Amino acid sequence: MDFINILEKGFWAGLAALGFAILFNVPQRTLLVIWAMGALGGLLKFLLLGLEINIVLASLAGASLIGILSVYAAHNKHAPPLVFSIPSVIPMVPGAFAYRMMLGCMELVGTSSNLESYLKTLAETTNNGLKAIFILIALSAGVAIPMLVTRKDTFKRIKSSVEQE
Amino acid sequence: MVKTLKDIQEAEAMLLNVGTLLMSSGASTGRVRTTVNRIADALGFNIELLITNRSLMLKVIDEETNHFIASLKRTSPHGVNFRIVSGISRMSWRVVEENWSIPQINEEVERLVALPHYPRLVILSSVALAGSSFCALFGGKGIELVVAFVATFLGLFIRQESLKKRFNPYVSIFFASFAASLLSGLSVKLGLGKSPDIAFATSVLFLVPGVPLINSFTDMIDGNILNGIVRGIHGLIIAFAIALGLLCAKFLFNI
Repeated sequence: MDFINILEKGFWAGLAALGFAILFNVPQRTLLVIWAMGALGGLLKFLLLGLEINIVLASLAGASLIGILSVYAAHNKHAPPLVFSIPSVIPMVPGAFAYRMMLGCMELVGTSSNLESYLKTLAETTNNGLKAIFILIALSAGVAIPMLVTRKDTFKRIKSSVEQE
Repeated sequence: MVKTLKDIQEAEAMLLNVGTLLMSSGASTGRVRTTVNRIADALGFNIELLITNRSLMLKVIDEETNHFIASLKRTSPHGVNFRIVSGISRMSWRVVEENWSIPQINEEVERLVALPHYPRLVILSSVALAGSSFCALFGGKGIELVVAFVATFLGLFIRQESLKKRFNPYVSIFFASFAASLLSGLSVKLGLGKSPDIAFATSVLFLVPGVPLINSFTDMIDGNILNGIVRGIHGLIIAFAIALGLLCAKFLFNI
C-alpha cells in the first residue's frame, strides 16, 4: 500500500471540501476545520480502499467520521453541524461511477444487434449505477445519523436549563 | 406581561422571516422547526408550524387569551448560504440566554442578511481548485488538472451569469455543465495528457447537488418524509441537467 499516495489523496479531498465551503459561503472561522475534516474523511476512505474494503463501506466509514467530527466542531466553533459536514463529504461523491452509468445507459439505448456485448454493457451499467446510488446513500447516512443522534443531547440541555430557572 | 395584538403580529412576521430565511439558505426541516420553536419559546409564544419546501405556515398563539394569528410566507429562492444558517442558529441561543426583544432580533437578522459573500474571484478560483482536486482524486495528473481548473472556472461563471439573468435554475445548471464539458471535451478531442477522459468526467462535479441530497436523507429519517422526497427529486433533476449538458458536449465532439 502506498502511504504517500493516500496522503496526497487526503490533501486533495481537503482542498475540494474547501472549494465547496467557499461556494456555500461558510463563516471564515470554520474554513480550516472543514479542510481538515475533508482531508481526514478522504484519508480514511482511501486507507480502507487500500485494504481492499468495499467502496460503499469505505465511503460510509469516511462519512461517519466526518459526521461525528462535525458534531464536535459544531460545539467548538458555534455553527450547526451541517455547515461542516456537507462541504466535507462532497469530495467523496461517486462522480466517476455516475458518469460511467450514464455512458452505459446511452450505449444500451443505442444498439442491440450483438446480444453478448449488450449483456456485458448491461452488467457493467447496473454495477456502476448501483455503486453510485449506494455510495450516495452511505454518504448521506454517515453524515445525517450522528447529527440526529446527538440532537437529543441538545434538547436535554435546553430543558434542563429551563427547569433550573 | 400582557401581549397586545401588535406584539403577536410582530412575532408572527419575525418568526416567519427567520424560518423562510433558514429554509432557503439550506437548513434541514428539523433545524428550521427547532430554531423557530426555540425563539418562540424564549419570547413566550406558543406556535404551530407547517414547513414545506416553497412556503411556511405559522400560527402564533397567545397563551393567556388564546388569541391566535396564522399566516403564510413564501421562501425566497436564494442559493445555499451557510453563513445565515450558522448566524441564525447562534442568534437563537442568545435570544434564549439574553432575553432579546423582537426589534433586537430583527436588527440582528438584517445584519446577517447584509453580510457579504466571499469576493466573486475567490469563489470562482477556489471552486475551480476544487474541480482540479476532484480530477486528482480520480487519478488525473499535470495538464488534466489545468483543464479541470479552467473548465470548472468557466462553468461556474456561466452558472452565476445565467442565474443573474433569471434563467430557470435547472436550465442554468444545464448551461454550466454544457460549457464546462465543451471545454474539457475539447481537450479530449485534442488528446491533451494521458487520460483526458478523467478531466472530462470531473469538470462538471462542482455542480453536484450535495446539499439537496444530504438534506433529503436527513429530512426523511427525521420523519419529514414529504420534504425529503421533494428535496430528493430536486437533486435528481439537477443531476439530470448535469448529465444532459455532458451528453450534448459528447455528441458535439463525437467522443
